Amino acid sequence: MTKWGMVIDLDKCTGCQACTTACAMENNTLPGENWQDVLFYHEGTYPTAKLTWLPRPCMQCENPSCVTVCPTRATYKDMDAGGIVFVDWNKCIGCKYCMIACPYGVRFYADEQPVVEPDVRDVFPGEGQLWAPPYQSPESDARRGIGIQPKGVVSKCTFCYHKVSQAPEGVADLDEDNPETKEYVPACVRTCPPKARYFGDLDNPESEVNRLIADQRGVRLRDHTGNRPQVYYLGSGADVPAYNPPSDS
Amino acid sequence: MNNGNILKGPLGILLLIVSAGVAIAAFAYAMMDLMAVGHRSFNTSSQMPWGQPIATYLYFALASSGLGMIAALPLVFGFKQFYPLAKRSIYLAFIILISGMAVLAMELGHVFRMLWVMPLNMQIQSAMFWMGVFYIADLLFLLWKFQKMEGKEWDSKTSRQIGIASFLAVLLASGNLALIFGMMSMRPFWFDGLMPIYFYLTAVASGLAAVVFFTYLAYGFNRSAMPAPMRAMFAGSLPRLFAAVLGGTVLFIAVRAITGLYTNNPEIYLVWRDYLFASPVYQASLWLGIVVPFVIMLIAGLRANAGIQVLVSMAVFAGLFAERYFFVVGGQVVPLFRGTWEWGLIEYTPSLTEWALTIMGSAMLFALYAAGERFLNLSAMPDDLPAASGREATA
Repeated sequence: MTKWGMVIDLDKCTGCQACTTACAMENNTLPGENWQDVLFYHEGTYPTAKLTWLPRPCMQCENPSCVTVCPTRATYKDMDAGGIVFVDWNKCIGCKYCMIACPYGVRFYADEQPVVEPDVRDVFPGEGQLWAPPYQSPESDARRGIGIQPKGVVSKCTFCYHKVSQAPEGVADLDEDNPETKEYVPACVRTCPPKARYFGDLDNPESEVNRLIADQRGVRLRDHTGNRPQVYYLGSGADVPAYNPPSDS
Repeated sequence: MNNGNILKGPLGILLLIVSAGVAIAAFAYAMMDLMAVGHRSFNTSSQMPWGQPIATYLYFALASSGLGMIAALPLVFGFKQFYPLAKRSIYLAFIILISGMAVLAMELGHVFRMLWVMPLNMQIQSAMFWMGVFYIADLLFLLWKFQKMEGKEWDSKTSRQIGIASFLAVLLASGNLALIFGMMSMRPFWFDGLMPIYFYLTAVASGLAAVVFFTYLAYGFNRSAMPAPMRAMFAGSLPRLFAAVLGGTVLFIAVRAITGLYTNNPEIYLVWRDYLFASPVYQASLWLGIVVPFVIMLIAGLRANAGIQVLVSMAVFAGLFAERYFFVVGGQVVPLFRGTWEWGLIEYTPSLTEWALTIMGSAMLFALYAAGERFLNLSAMPDDLPAASGREATA
């Protein structure tokens, strides 16, 4: 059975946020509702200060804590869809418990104050949905949290399931450089300029993602939580520094 | 029995009208905001998903559980000196839970959907699913128990069985509510297997504050107007119980604060150092709302004084509300990832709409209480209760 996974090479990532932008365009997310984001950190002080960054999609965990806390089964892990974790917008009651339980902070309740002005929801008001952007993805599947979201529900990255699900059965990798698979590649992977992202089947021993994880010692973020992400990081920088307030820096 | 209950007269009607008016006005204000801009009217965010409405619900739900536990003292454990509180406690437990649920309903994204999605999907792994189950059971048992009291069935076999079932429902509901927070290992400030014990203790403290205040309110803050067994209880066993429970609360907060400050884990010690103890409001609520009331209740000459008891109950009421607020928000102020959007601790101040929900719940509680005092006999107790039983023992 396919188990979709992503590998992000931090030594290649330039922090350009092209992935963040592509995700927002592909999925019609609101400003601040960054299903995919690149978080910037600074560590240390002069002369050893450094700037580092971390791309952060939903980890699509093998053992997702967001799923078990959901009182309505609106959040679920679909093993028939490559193990992607979805939110069923027809079942979500907006209790936000999943947002509390996610150790990665990658769930969003977009019915919140705008992070930028003017509020695009007022500029493009929607009926029955949070907003009506001028370009709307033709794909819509409320049961999987795909499309323009309605009010009062939680949203999250779907690994661009509307694209990935169209891929030929049994394919090991979805590579944007391969003409046969490029249309099925998640937006953040396809747009990545330095090709820092790879997407493929973690259950297929022949896949490039498995080779990279094995050869380059891929690690999972916050693995101590036991959530076992299906997103792996290569290179230096996956060790996110512990929280340190500016006053202590 | 209810001679001296000022709320049976025009003052009760006035309280009912005023608090119902405030509740309706606050509801209308919050509803208008929610209809116009949705939850944009809250100051919560994806980084801080649970704010003051959740804290208000938590406070009300736990005060209700505390009242249920207090009622269990005479009804389940045979501490007869607390019978004068039993019926009012059960009634207050019911209405305070209803008020809390009303606030929660306004906080959720889709409250009506919940009514069918939860039973149809039976996610038994979710503590929040069990919260629904246990609090509904709690409500039903409270209602049933109250109905038995209305029928003057204080000590029948059925009444005792319902009392025990109600007590168990209270324990399950509030213990499970504690686990909603206590099981979140990704939120280290909350993650604590003893959280149910902490919630039980503070629930009883807030329940005691509620029943002391509302009983005095019913009698115009005049203890001499109360029936003799009630007077004896307020002079003897009740203040001692209040002192003991406040002491337990102080101890628990102290232990949590000491371990929190001692640890190197920034997701815990920073909450205590840079959020809780750095906040003058938290400091005031801790010292004036919990510690000073405890010290006052330790002094035998003061704790029996009616005016002091009312003041302490009001202080604890406010202090524990702040404690719930800082507990809920404190578990979320350290961002899961320090990064682009959050460099420091997450800042949160409740919006006017969120305050309106807290006011709505509180006013609803007062309105339902005034109606209860007016139309029901909340001071009822078994006829054969000795007036001096309050001096016999402490809980």
